Amino acid sequence: MGVNSVTNACAHLQNASRARLGLTSLPNNKYNLRLALALHRAGFVNSVTRAGPHPPPPEALLTFEPEPVTNTNVATRRLWLGLKYWNNEPVMKKVTPVSKPSRLVTATLDELSRVSRGFPAGHLKGLNLGECMFLSTDRGVLEVREALERKVGGLVLCRVS
Amino acid sequence: MSAARPAVRNLFSRHLASAASTPATAAVRPAVIAAAAGAAQSPSCRHHQFHSSAQLEARRRPRFKSVRAEEMGLVSEKKVQEYSDKTFPRYTQEEMEALAEQYSPAQLAALEAGEAAIDPRDLTIQGRLRVDPYRMPYIDDFAEIQPIIDRRPRKQPPPDPNARFMNLDEFTEDLIKWADKFQTGPVTGTLKKLTDFVPKEYRKKPEGQWPGAIRDRAHEDFALYIQEEASKPPTDPDVAAVSGPTDADVLEYILERSSMTDGNRTSNSALAPALPAKVPGVTGLYKNAIDPADEGLDDTGIYQELKKRTGMTVREIMGIRCAELVQRFVSNQTRLGKIRSTSSLWVAGNGHGWLGIGIAKSVEPMAANQRAKMLAIRNMRPIRRYEERTIYGNVEAKVGGSVVRLFSRPPGFGLRVSHRIFEMCRAAGIKDLSAKFIRSRNPLNTVKATYDALTSQPDPEEIAIGRGKKLVDVRKVYYGGAVH
Repeated sequence: MGVNSVTNACAHLQNASRARLGLTSLPNNKYNLRLALALHRAGFVNSVTRAGPHPPPPEALLTFEPEPVTNTNVATRRLWLGLKYWNNEPVMKKVTPVSKPSRLVTATLDELSRVSRGFPAGHLKGLNLGECMFLSTDRGVLEVREALERKVGGLVLCRVS
Repeated sequence: MSAARPAVRNLFSRHLASAASTPATAAVRPAVIAAAAGAAQSPSCRHHQFHSSAQLEARRRPRFKSVRAEEMGLVSEKKVQEYSDKTFPRYTQEEMEALAEQYSPAQLAALEAGEAAIDPRDLTIQGRLRVDPYRMPYIDDFAEIQPIIDRRPRKQPPPDPNARFMNLDEFTEDLIKWADKFQTGPVTGTLKKLTDFVPKEYRKKPEGQWPGAIRDRAHEDFALYIQEEASKPPTDPDVAAVSGPTDADVLEYILERSSMTDGNRTSNSALAPALPAKVPGVTGLYKNAIDPADEGLDDTGIYQELKKRTGMTVREIMGIRCAELVQRFVSNQTRLGKIRSTSSLWVAGNGHGWLGIGIAKSVEPMAANQRAKMLAIRNMRPIRRYEERTIYGNVEAKVGGSVVRLFSRPPGFGLRVSHRIFEMCRAAGIKDLSAKFIRSRNPLNTVKATYDALTSQPDPEEIAIGRGKKLVDVRKVYYGGAVH
């Protein structure tokens, strides 16, 4: 499975944020799940919950016990993401996919260190104030600073600010 | 040569003037006469002469002496009578008969009465028909004023130049004087006294000195008068009230009575006299009060509104750095033609993170500049500055087709920007910046877009709060924060 679902998820999340939605859903797959968890770690989303076609009630989002995924219900599972807003502005204003199925962009550790300090490297522009970049590495989907901590490079998925 | 000429002419003409009465042969050989002139000059010509023209010897006299009419015997009574009889003869018997055929006896009598009323002598002396070329095209003795032809006579004296508004005492006095006009009916003190019944010469003398007959007569009359007064019915108070000033009188008092100390002098004009230069009670109320706190910096009062709006002192306002960034010549096409005016964009900043822009338009460029400058100062808003030298991150803004990208830069980088953004940065106190116009470079829109970009910088604190993260500026962490 390629980065197609991540690219789609990026566009969907930006649209949902601009539409001021409180809760939105992504297709349930491993890539989306890892990206959603990385966004959660970076503080861009409130909650990540796997549920059916209808979201769990808002008050139960954090304490929700998802039913185990089985062969019978896996096709109807979705990832429900709680979106954040602050000062009448979405916290996740801009979500730009970097890699797409027709062109995968990878970055080495050196490139990442430059980009994270705001300088351009190769095809990548430097990060701006408050901007995050998510990578798919062999340690999972990581934010660029996490990847630098772990000293791993990888496939650049998207930039979020 | 030319310098000597006036002197020669002077000498020559002086002689001519002094020798005006001499025979004409003197002018034939002027050079010879001029040489001899020094000796021949009369004593009256010795003094200095300040004119180049010839001086006259004395006052010009008429060639013929005038003879008075009195000396000619023209105003003697006999001559006057003679002239009157000749010019204004009485009707002869034949003429009267001819008139009698034309008029009725009553009309004839009126004619005769009219003839008898006018003395022919008066006509000779006073009435005079003009025969000069400048006479009026009609016969008139100008004894009457004809409103259509004649100017309106100015019967009243001119307004009193020293009149001023009445003070309270004068006003009270004037009001009493006006009210006295309407006092009617018996009032205490208006009854006649005994002295009113004697001839004038005895009024000031005591009663004892009056002759007996006069005294008796006065007593009789006075008693009669007292009886008469006592027998009168008592005055109705309502009638007395009615006899006071009417509504029209009060209205006239309010509208027309002069409120100045000119004794209610009527004017030749229907217009009220103009107000004096200094109206008491009004003087100083409508003048721009100069605030002593301004230290004399704003006597014209142009900063007063700004002072109220911003709360700054005039000295602080004048210390604000202002610059004109864009000037455009615009015109409004009307059916009467183009009305050209100037539109100005000014930027103002205090050099410590406050920046404002103002746009104004006026037919007068100076007025537009002034207004735009004031608006710029009024519109000043805080600009976020990183380390008080550059901006937070890179920002982009778009106005029309102009897209401005601003990039934060390290210390010592300087302002590598276009001249308009340079002025804005200088006003705002930004020292390190680079910028790029990626599309249109329209002056007005780039300035506006730059202002938008500067005011829409991201706030790291807000971002950190939004994401629930702790934020640390690493420039302040490494090397103990000694990074400058």
